[in-house]
Amino acid sequence: MTATPADRRASWFKGVLDLLVLASLTGGESYGYEIAKTLDAAGFGRIKGGTLYPVLNRLEEAGLVAAEFRAADKGPGRRYYTLTDAGRDTLQAQGGQWLAFEASVRELLAKGGVA
Amino acid sequence: MSDANAGYVAELAAALRESGLPEERVAATVADVATHLQETGADGLDEFGPVGEFAAQLAPAGAEAVAESPVETWRWTADTYADEALLNRFGAEGWEVERIDALGRFVSRRDAERPLSWEYRRELVSLLGREDLDERLAPDGWEACGNWLMYAWFKRPVAVREGPAAELAAPAPRPAARSGLGRYVSRRLRWTLALTAVTLVVAAVVVGLAEGDAASGLGFAGGLLAGAAVPLGLMAVVSWRTERVRGRADSEAL
Repeated sequence: MTATPADRRASWFKGVLDLLVLASLTGGESYGYEIAKTLDAAGFGRIKGGTLYPVLNRLEEAGLVAAEFRAADKGPGRRYYTLTDAGRDTLQAQGGQWLAFEASVRELLAKGGVA
Repeated sequence: MSDANAGYVAELAAALRESGLPEERVAATVADVATHLQETGADGLDEFGPVGEFAAQLAPAGAEAVAESPVETWRWTADTYADEALLNRFGAEGWEVERIDALGRFVSRRDAERPLSWEYRRELVSLLGREDLDERLAPDGWEACGNWLMYAWFKRPVAVREGPAAELAAPAPRPAARSGLGRYVSRRLRWTLALTAVTLVVAAVVVGLAEGDAASGLGFAGGLLAGAAVPLGLMAVVSWRTERVRGRADSEAL
């Protein structure tokens, strides 16, 4: 048992961040900083741009989100992301796998006496 | 934006270009990052990490492997009073200026398959260089594309403002070449060379007459150097006045 609580949480978060980003786009288009605020408000803490933007980039390359650059009120402009049909399907499929995994973990932990 | 963040954004733009990411993507990414930093007030290095690592994540190694489409090239000249308008006209037809050659010509290229619209701006700079202009303009997607004496030209893809709509479906054919000397040398360069030559001769004659010996060594060379400085100084004053007049005209037009 070498991982600190912070390391363990970071590891879980890294494994599910792409799904969280996809989930945060189900309500409509959004941009990097707004997605970071959504994740922060959901209890995941402040996500830095250096972590979030490469994930958005990979999701776009995989065709799971579509990006469009538009002018912004503040600053030179920003990329707005929307969920594609493929992204919606991936969210459903892999989100379901995560829930099944989480249920198995929860069940075993309960048997181990973790409330 | 702080100087540190402006520097970070400029470095990021350079790193992304070096990695082979398409210019349109570089400009949009850089603008996005600049806006993020303005909104959060965060420090670029703290928010996005070291430039090299961040750029490598945004532009994977495969970016360089993308096959380049055929490119048209074109060298052309324009005078200072018309260059900005012409640059923007030809930029709208897909011509991207890569640099200004030793003869003062705009060295341009156009992607034959997927031409992008470009826009340009000219800035007045000191003879020593562009100072902090690169860092100041980089967050808005501007990239330096040439210097000539006290002028610096910057370009950016129109896609930074208009998105994919800026891609040209059917670009205009390449403009016809000018005939005669103007085809090769800009009027800007011809006037500079002519004025320099005349002033050199006058300075040499004056120094020679003053010393009674037209080939008097140090005095003669000093006269030549001083003479050469005159047209350059005059050009600086004329350009500065031109900019002032242009600025006033722009203000009155608003």
